[in-house]
Amino acid sequence: MAGLSDDAQWIVMMGFVVSLSFFFLALLLNQSTVVGQTTAESVLDFPKNDIRDVRSVMIQSAELNATGQITGGQYATIQNDIQTLSLSEKKAVVQYQIINTNPVWLSIHYNNGVTSYNETYVSP
Amino acid sequence: MVNDLGQLFTIEGVAASMIMLFTTYLVLGATTVYTPGDSHISDMQLEQIGTDALNMMNTPSNCTSTSCVSTLQQIVSETDTNLSAANSTFNMIFLNYVNNRTESMSDNLHYEANITFRDTTDGPNSTTISSYYLASNRNLNGVEHPVRVTEWVIIGPPNFPGIILPPGAHYIAQPRAVLVEVLLWRD
Repeated sequence: MAGLSDDAQWIVMMGFVVSLSFFFLALLLNQSTVVGQTTAESVLDFPKNDIRDVRSVMIQSAELNATGQITGGQYATIQNDIQTLSLSEKKAVVQYQIINTNPVWLSIHYNNGVTSYNETYVSP
Repeated sequence: MVNDLGQLFTIEGVAASMIMLFTTYLVLGATTVYTPGDSHISDMQLEQIGTDALNMMNTPSNCTSTSCVSTLQQIVSETDTNLSAANSTFNMIFLNYVNNRTESMSDNLHYEANITFRDTTDGPNSTTISSYYLASNRNLNGVEHPVRVTEWVIIGPPNFPGIILPPGAHYIAQPRAVLVEVLLWRD
């Protein structure tokens, strides 16, 4: 390295610093577009609306049965409907059972292979 | 005679060009190309709007002393006797819910709705699934990218003490749980 000039070292160093900061900014920009995407994906994958919907119809049928508005046989038919349609249309195994009628205690199970949800509902 | 001056400048030049090339690569990679199958963000919003609209329609509103009936329950039950009336009621209310915005311009959502039920023609424990048409405001022609939203509805006594006989003569007596399925898309 004989004869190498050691002038302008600040300029060389600032050049490096600036280019490195550009590099990190670009990295941030690159990641930021993926953030909304992955969030939306995981929201879509999680069956929040399915669980809320099937839970509400289970509770509705149990309440109808507990208050004597539908018979035990009619309740069993509705239960069969919910389980069969969930399996075929939502690809989810659901099961529920009345444990107690006054107040209504209901055990609820939902599993679609990825998400499982279990609850014991007690009517207010 | 080879001069051995300028190695530092050569190295710096190479390093700087590598950094610039890599930065360019990252910046170009950051501009994501949106294909219809990739539009998860708008799918999520559509699904939420549709679910909310169906939920609102399935909220009990017409209450007597003994029972409450939601608009959606009435519509589904009406398909038994008067499909075209059920069709137009659903069409009006659903489009009103999903397309109204606070500004003057309304949104441009379209839908196709079906009712799916367990067909007990073969016996009470049959697991056959049938579905029939409820309403739509446009036909799905394969170009659109719809999302599916659903709502469970319990129909039959005590709210509706009649039998339900959907078009196509599938006999389903008794109170039953049916699934209203809506395909929803924006164009």
